Amino acid sequence: MSYLELKNVSKFYSGVVAVQDFNLEIDKGSLVSFLGPSGCGKTTTLRMIAGFGRLDEGTILLDGEDITDVPPNRRDIGMVFQAYALFPNMTVQGNIGFGLLMKKTPKKEIKKKVDHVLELVRLQDTAKRFPHQLSGGQQQRIALARALAVQPRVLLLDEPLSALDAEVRVVLRGEIRRIQSELAITTVYVTHDQEEALSISDKVVVMNKGVIEQVGIPEEIYRAPKTHFVATFIGTANQFLGKVSGTNTVMCNHFHLLVDDLKGFNEGQRAVVLVRPETIQVQPDPPERKGWNIIPGEVETITFHGAVTRLGVNIYGQRVAADITVAHTKSISLNQKIWLLFSPDACQVMAVDEE
Amino acid sequence: MKHPQKPVRETDTKIRPTGWQILCIALFLFYMLLPIVSTYAFSVATRWDRTILPEGYTLEFYIRAFQTSYFTITLRNSLILSVATIVVSLIVIVPTVYWVHTRLIGLKPWLDVLMILPFGIPTVVLALALVQVYNFPPIARSPILLIGAVVVYSMPFMYRPVSNALQAIDALTLTEAGQILGANVFQVLSKIIIPNILPGILSGTLLVFSTVFAEYTLTSLIVGAGFKTFPLLLVEYTRINGNIAAAFSVVSFTIAWLFSILILWGGSKGQNASAETIQAR
Repeated sequence: MSYLELKNVSKFYSGVVAVQDFNLEIDKGSLVSFLGPSGCGKTTTLRMIAGFGRLDEGTILLDGEDITDVPPNRRDIGMVFQAYALFPNMTVQGNIGFGLLMKKTPKKEIKKKVDHVLELVRLQDTAKRFPHQLSGGQQQRIALARALAVQPRVLLLDEPLSALDAEVRVVLRGEIRRIQSELAITTVYVTHDQEEALSISDKVVVMNKGVIEQVGIPEEIYRAPKTHFVATFIGTANQFLGKVSGTNTVMCNHFHLLVDDLKGFNEGQRAVVLVRPETIQVQPDPPERKGWNIIPGEVETITFHGAVTRLGVNIYGQRVAADITVAHTKSISLNQKIWLLFSPDACQVMAVDEE
Repeated sequence: MKHPQKPVRETDTKIRPTGWQILCIALFLFYMLLPIVSTYAFSVATRWDRTILPEGYTLEFYIRAFQTSYFTITLRNSLILSVATIVVSLIVIVPTVYWVHTRLIGLKPWLDVLMILPFGIPTVVLALALVQVYNFPPIARSPILLIGAVVVYSMPFMYRPVSNALQAIDALTLTEAGQILGANVFQVLSKIIIPNILPGILSGTLLVFSTVFAEYTLTSLIVGAGFKTFPLLLVEYTRINGNIAAAFSVVSFTIAWLFSILILWGGSKGQNASAETIQAR
């Protein structure tokens, strides 16, 4: 059953669309990410859920109650900001207890609850410190604890990790997910980092230019993107432009590609074929594999990425990315002539966005 | 002969002022302190026109200053004017600047320009214009009109520090953080914003106090003898007896300093916390 519901939500800034016709249902206890490039409307949407910025159209329902016109201080929602936004004049204890104080909670109970959430974020010994005495990662944990202390109905996180180091980011996103599932708190997480979104979400909402491009579980978003934008925004995808021919071929300029499924396409229609680098195999000798796509090319760049090595391969003037595992790297060198090999089911065909 | 390879010891890494720097600083201090020191000396000098140093010392002028019939009244009037101006400034400016920083961000450049205007308008013009416009009782030539004029005149001194402090703490995000935790506007202001901008409010208060306490032109032109303030008395005595005027100046300095210390001491608790905030940035 949906717990938080956004219906036909739109927001314009002096006539320019920020968010348009946004419809979403979020289940109780789930973590949903809004993912998209900057300016896609994800933060605007989150802020409307929090009550910052009025809606120009639509309604927001929380647990069946229409909260569209409820001011932020009466929504019972917790929020973590990108810039931590801890109160500099208060200790950690004061910060976390603030929301409870506003609710006129008895002092004893405040102390108990503060201790509890501090334990949850594993920073029990910082209660008496001031925010500036903590590291960025610690400050953000305290901000999370502060948002959780009031036991909000929904937790909103606005790019909470983007100000932190890469290492802290990975640890903290795991922590956020752990705490979120432990408390089973309905959470909306805004990020522009796809890895972050894919790794911690129950559901990902990909947004672009104020509209939802796709909603789905992380696997779906990655494996079966529904739009050209999603396919190119999530992960890396090689793109081959061509025209549909027959039931399983797309004709490109210098070669043709065998694909799995061309349902819904017309003969001769312009289409783009997307192939992820990790689905491409690289062979130094001409391979023989019937029914697969085989394209010759020349290695232009070799970039070491740790677990994989990415090759930039020139095929008929187009640069194509292919990932190979370290075990294969030795046999490949710059300017070497090689063959790319990928199966038809690695190819995703999309209609070309007419722009 | 020079030593080409002078061994570098650790103490040499300390930055020491060069002869030029010492000279510049000394000149600056001399320039700043000479009038103050002279005033102090003149207030206790018996005769000082034939020698480099006064010929003798006396407290007579202080006794005569304190005995002046207008002494306490003008002092009281000056304090009333200063404190009233500070109170009005705080009530008008702090919420306005906060509002502009959080709700009407687009208006900030306009407000910035508006706050330079008092510097651009000559006080004489301001005073005469106000006297002409507000020429009806009970406002005409009243202390109320004076307070209003002085508030406008000293506004930039309150505005700047408060505005800078709000800028430094990212008032908008802190406001939103407070709101989402259930605080209303008054709670956000009293528990979050004001404690964090206290250093700005304090320095604004100090600047306004020292400006208003020494204000002459507006007072003289708007109310004149009707509400005599300390600077008016002081100027009056420069024509009667320079030594007594010097004694008045010393009293004025002392009050200004005492008041400054009082404000700083009163706000030191909050300031410590806020100083830590600023350190953190």
